[in-house]
Amino acid sequence: MTFAVPAALWGLLAIPCLILLYLLRVRRRDHPVSTILLWQRSAPTLAASRPSRRIERSVLLLLQILATVALVTALARPSIVERGAGGGDVLLVLDLSLSMRARDVAPTRFDRARDEAMEIVAHLRPGQRAGLITAGPRPLVRVTPTEDRDRLVAALRELQPWDASGDVAGAVRLAAAHPLGPGGRIVAWTDGARGPLPALPRVAYRILGSSDDNVGITAFRALRDPRGAEALVRVENFGTRSRRVPLEVTHDGATTYRAVLDLPPGASRTVVFPITAAGRFTARLAVHDILPDDDSATAILDPAPLPSVLVVGPGDPYLENVLRALPVVRAAATRAVDPTTWRSYGVVILDRVDPGPIPPGDYLLIRTVPPNLPVAAAGDVRTPDIASWDRTDPVLQFVDLRGVRILRALQLVPEGGRVLVGGTVPLLWAYEGEGVRALLLPFALQDSDLPMHVAFPLLVANGLGWLGGGALDVRAGETLQIPAGGGTRARVIDPEGHSQLVPATAGMFLLPPFQRAGVYRLTSASGERQIVARIGDPRAGMVRPGPADRAVPSAPGTGDAGPLVTRASLWPWFLLAALGIIMGEWVLATRREGDR
Amino acid sequence: MAGRADSDPAAPTTPLLDPEFLQKLETLGLVSRKRIRGEQRGDRRSVSRGRGVEFSDHRAYQLGDDYRYIDWNVVSRLDRLFVKMFSEEEDLDVSFVLDTSRSMAAGSPSKLMLAKRLAAAIGYIGLVNLDRVGVTACSADAGPRLDRLRGRARVFDLLRFLDGLEPAGETDLLLAMRRHFAGVRRRGLLIVLSDLFDPRGYERALLLARYHRVQTFLIHILADEELTPAVAGDLRLVDVETGRAVEVTVDAEALRAYAQARDAYLSGVERFCLRHGIDYLRTSTSVPVEALVLRWLRQGGLVG
Repeated sequence: MTFAVPAALWGLLAIPCLILLYLLRVRRRDHPVSTILLWQRSAPTLAASRPSRRIERSVLLLLQILATVALVTALARPSIVERGAGGGDVLLVLDLSLSMRARDVAPTRFDRARDEAMEIVAHLRPGQRAGLITAGPRPLVRVTPTEDRDRLVAALRELQPWDASGDVAGAVRLAAAHPLGPGGRIVAWTDGARGPLPALPRVAYRILGSSDDNVGITAFRALRDPRGAEALVRVENFGTRSRRVPLEVTHDGATTYRAVLDLPPGASRTVVFPITAAGRFTARLAVHDILPDDDSATAILDPAPLPSVLVVGPGDPYLENVLRALPVVRAAATRAVDPTTWRSYGVVILDRVDPGPIPPGDYLLIRTVPPNLPVAAAGDVRTPDIASWDRTDPVLQFVDLRGVRILRALQLVPEGGRVLVGGTVPLLWAYEGEGVRALLLPFALQDSDLPMHVAFPLLVANGLGWLGGGALDVRAGETLQIPAGGGTRARVIDPEGHSQLVPATAGMFLLPPFQRAGVYRLTSASGERQIVARIGDPRAGMVRPGPADRAVPSAPGTGDAGPLVTRASLWPWFLLAALGIIMGEWVLATRREGDR
Repeated sequence: MAGRADSDPAAPTTPLLDPEFLQKLETLGLVSRKRIRGEQRGDRRSVSRGRGVEFSDHRAYQLGDDYRYIDWNVVSRLDRLFVKMFSEEEDLDVSFVLDTSRSMAAGSPSKLMLAKRLAAAIGYIGLVNLDRVGVTACSADAGPRLDRLRGRARVFDLLRFLDGLEPAGETDLLLAMRRHFAGVRRRGLLIVLSDLFDPRGYERALLLARYHRVQTFLIHILADEELTPAVAGDLRLVDVETGRAVEVTVDAEALRAYAQARDAYLSGVERFCLRHGIDYLRTSTSVPVEALVLRWLRQGGLVG
């Protein structure tokens, strides 16, 4: 039995005081008798008047002492530790965050959590059900409450942490929304490294981890810009001690960049350096910390980052000049609207033509609205203003639209997709669906001064790259849709060489979320594309364990290595016993008074 | 409970003896195991020989004897003068030593009331049978004393005297005995009515009676609560006579110990009386006086 408030046990000192008060208390009643002769001759009676004898014989005092002990014990909040998860249904919630791969708990936090969950499954009582919910990037019910232990164990064995942050709070709330029977409870294993955990009834957290020593790469990109190409590496120290970290970037085994970064606690450093070759770059930190998974990262600079382009329209010198400058595979122009010829191009630019319904593919639409897209044109609008644009969208990366003026534009009425540049009317609209990926610019280039701005080539390059560019960049845990381009199925090969077939659905390849960071390959009839999966978010490398105030304690003496145990609170029983004893003492005292 | 130390003065006066009971007492007489010498003629055979009607013996004629008692038949046979001797019927000297200490107020009815009723009943029997009846109230204070009465007509004096006795003072049996024997020279029947709760002891008082060679009949009166105390808890027991107190915690074991002490005490009294030829009768306040007189005192040989 353990006590949550052991200091309350000092209250037991009240017992000697109680005895002292009992001894000192003058409470004998005078009772006249004919003679005390016989009482004086009764030795045991006189002995009964001795204080020690009185204490022995006083049931009331004994009851008072018992009541005091029970009351003080109740105030000390006693509890007993039980193996397993007690009675009732139990929902197991496992955090699948990247930080759960930390090795400060052997072998890893996640492995320990899974072992403890399996131990709970092994200790389920007959008829007791258990379910499994994972806290990946999106909470997911893996196993609904069941008595089938084998199914639970199999599901637990399949689990692996993501290279992303898990939504523990969402998973716990999802579990709490599940109707639990009497005595049911939720046990969540997490390191609590990213924000507070919801304090919900019947939820017990098992906080894993003991260290915050981690330095990781939170961003690694290789980008082209009009001046050439450069790489960006950001390294962050998540620990509480300063680190001096060697960084090395290699390309095909050759070092292209090397630096030693001094990182104060909680600080980050970003280094940008030029690169000349195209291909795969790998950044590595020569550091020993508890989370090696974020000590390396990969970036790809595609040799031909932009796809082949067919311009259909009357022709525009600004556009032609940009296409000549950009690293597209090939570019062609035609005035004829013949969709049958469009398949051999990665991106088709429809400039002020009426193409009718467009087939699946990637399109840059300039002042034209195909009828089979969820957008309509409601006439023209003059001198629309640009009020805002989504700087985080890859299409608008590095694009500054301040000062761009537009004489005339179509008044778009979107019924889907997303508006990337807004103002008086939508001025850049993006859409993915039905096998079509489209970027719509509702004004002709001649009707604006956009071609005169630096933003124009960047916008075209980003747009072509988004529409059908080379390597795709995606975060771990995110889903990705890629136009099938007429293909029926594709094969996804993960960084470890495992492949998975993905069928085309409605002209799109809907790729499952990538669990691990790395370079994936997508092969289909239209060729092969590389997909770089990055660590889900910069906070994924935070490994500092959260507060353990709501943690489920281990059994005494077992430390963190012990099995998961649960506490059964005993203080209500002690309080009940104290009340019962007090009632009994009251009844006894009342009866004695009645006898007198 | 033994807590009623004083009689309630507001209580209605209860007649000591009712007429029906008195009628039953008419047929009884006091029995003396010894032939005793009385002062006047009575209904009791005396060791004195004289003018009675029951022949007792012959003796030689002496100068001055009444000629009427010469047995001429003997003279004719023996040619010597003999006179006939007759047992003379004399009265009995019946004395009561009645404990009127404060402890006699215990019980329901009180021990004193029972003692007064017994004294009244026995005294009535004595007066009816022409015995002399005297009462000495016993307490540490000089209690009232009733000189010897004789004759049925003095019954009301006896009852009035008894009715006026109230519990007061401490028990001092020895002092009471001394006062009694200081005023009574004749041997007779001494009836002691007491609870014997004398802190100085009862033995010397009873031995004084034996010294004076009187037939002693001890009626030991106890209250029910003295035999079986109905108390419990932490108490300070106060002696109603001495004011001394003892603190006790009364529980079942203490009551058992009290019962053992009580039995030992009563056994001691019985052995003492048996050893010294004292008739002993123990009773409690719950026994009616009629039953005591008509049954237990007859069986005890005091009345017959």
